[in-house]
Amino acid sequence: MTTLQTSPPSSAWSRWRGAILAYVLVAPPLLLMVLLIFIPALQSIVRTLTIDVEGQSGFSFSRYVAFFNDPISVSNLVFTFQIVFLTLIIIFIVCFPLAIYLRFAQGRIAAAVQILVLFPLFVPGIILCYALIRFLGTRGTLDTVLSIFGVTEYRTPYLKPDAIIIGLVWESIPFTVLVLTAGLRQISDSLIESARDVGAGDWTIFRRIILPLITRPVLIAFSLNFLGIFGSYTVPYLLGPAAPQMMGVFMQQTFGQYRRPDDAETQAVITFLICSLVGLLYVRTVASQRIQQEDE
Amino acid sequence: MARLDIIHLTKQFGNVLAVNDAGFTVQDSEFMCILGPSGCGKSTLLRMIAGFEAPTSGDMQIDGESVTALPPNKRPTAMVFQKYTLWPHMTVYENIAFGLGLRGLSRAVIDQKVHDSLALVSLSGYETRYPAQLSGGQQQRVALARAIVLEPKILLLDEPFSSLDAILRVRLREELKRIQRRLKITAIFVTHDQEEALSLADRIAVMSGGQIEQIDHPSTIYANPQTLFVADFIGAMNLLKASAQDGVLRLGGKQLTAPNGIQSSDKITIALRPEDLMIVPDGTPDAWKAQVDQVMDLGHYRKILVDVPDVGELKVYVTKSMTVNEGDRVSLLPIRYLIYQNDAAPIEVNRPAAALT
Repeated sequence: MTTLQTSPPSSAWSRWRGAILAYVLVAPPLLLMVLLIFIPALQSIVRTLTIDVEGQSGFSFSRYVAFFNDPISVSNLVFTFQIVFLTLIIIFIVCFPLAIYLRFAQGRIAAAVQILVLFPLFVPGIILCYALIRFLGTRGTLDTVLSIFGVTEYRTPYLKPDAIIIGLVWESIPFTVLVLTAGLRQISDSLIESARDVGAGDWTIFRRIILPLITRPVLIAFSLNFLGIFGSYTVPYLLGPAAPQMMGVFMQQTFGQYRRPDDAETQAVITFLICSLVGLLYVRTVASQRIQQEDE
Repeated sequence: MARLDIIHLTKQFGNVLAVNDAGFTVQDSEFMCILGPSGCGKSTLLRMIAGFEAPTSGDMQIDGESVTALPPNKRPTAMVFQKYTLWPHMTVYENIAFGLGLRGLSRAVIDQKVHDSLALVSLSGYETRYPAQLSGGQQQRVALARAIVLEPKILLLDEPFSSLDAILRVRLREELKRIQRRLKITAIFVTHDQEEALSLADRIAVMSGGQIEQIDHPSTIYANPQTLFVADFIGAMNLLKASAQDGVLRLGGKQLTAPNGIQSSDKITIALRPEDLMIVPDGTPDAWKAQVDQVMDLGHYRKILVDVPDVGELKVYVTKSMTVNEGDRVSLLPIRYLIYQNDAAPIEVNRPAAALT
């Protein structure tokens, strides 16, 4: 017992030292986040909720009331949601078969598909946009090829919502397939084979075994894609219509062209709040995974 | 409850022959073990029977009907896998009911069958647990229940107990045997554990390098291994290099009784079970002088390592009643051995009991 009580003082000291080191390592990114994100964001939120009446500042929702009473603002917000959800649906329709193929297929073709899937990761957004304009635009590559085959009624999606969706889906494929494939690799072959063994066909296996076992990767892909797409700028700016606009383009235009920083700030806070709700979903998903891994 | 015929079954992966022209019949309600070292093709063979691998050539028939072209979900077989076999997002009940639900059975029937099968594996009351809340042994019992509940014609088991600890493995082995006997189900059990195979099987198929070396009753496999591989793989065996010339069998500097029909050769192997070497009184004719190097107490018997000049180190089993100490000089008499020559079936030599007295 005595030896336990007089345990070496160095152990307490080393614990302290460990704690201090941890704080020192965490401090720079934490400070940057507080100084560059939290404080400006908080200031913005406070400003959007403040009103100046005869030199007196007071609390007010008036800026938000104005935003939601302005048909253009509302239509831009609704348009952003529409684009986000349509894009997400198409991403999952495209990426699920790809991920399942990459999880189960072997050989050269699978390796080639893997490289193709990752390719968009290495193409900057702006280059993608101009490539798509050249490819999809009027008298672009697709138009020319179709006309060779006698199809003359080609109507380009360029400057239409469709072009935004095409661009965003293309950009999101590598990340989504990576996350889904990683999730699928966690499912051991014997889980799938035993389902087949008791009589399940492909669709049943997908719906009853695979899908429930990869809800977490799906939620992660959903939330991170949502954040990226909701706040996207380059693709909707270069490929999309002049109106309605997605929130990123709308904010930039309100700020830069109409010179109404106050309104832009309100739009930004609304965008930020919507995104932080989805961010919360992401954090919860990742945290529950951590807890489960520690349990195992 | 069915008969399985394996006919000239071959599986080739690239230029590797995983299973080479396997052919045998598993009788109705028979418990067959496929035994072999890892990589011998035993799992591939089982996976072909289950339908997870397509054979390169050959046929499989259940009750006379070919199942070779059927996918796993259409075969009347059910498989218990090695590990990670239960779906982690489903309860024990849902795991077992999954296959029944696919067959469109009514809820009441499913309920009854799930409860019966859980009772069979002594896990009644575990319906609402998730796999993560069960021990490894309980998980494999649920996996067994999940396979049995579908009333398959043939039950396939791919090393189902290999990830469990020794005591649990023995207990589950006994339980499996009891269930198989009660249901009279035809079962094929793949294992690399010879003790498991010897204790479970009605017949054992020993595999090596994609080939089936021998199919026999456990006692026959042990007593009369037909190939050197089986002799070496099953049980403990002393394998000794020998030569024969003009009807005389030579082992080191010693002569052994050579049976008729032995050909002159210097590529002969003599297989001698440790229990077939007897310690005899000094001066017994034909006995070998040896020195005891090591004595190991193995519970109900003792294993001793002896050094025989010109022959080498041999394993010998002796009863507890016999006092043997390290360093003792003893006389040994081989009372039974098998002579392997030219890949042919071995020649058995039994020393007449009279010679011992």
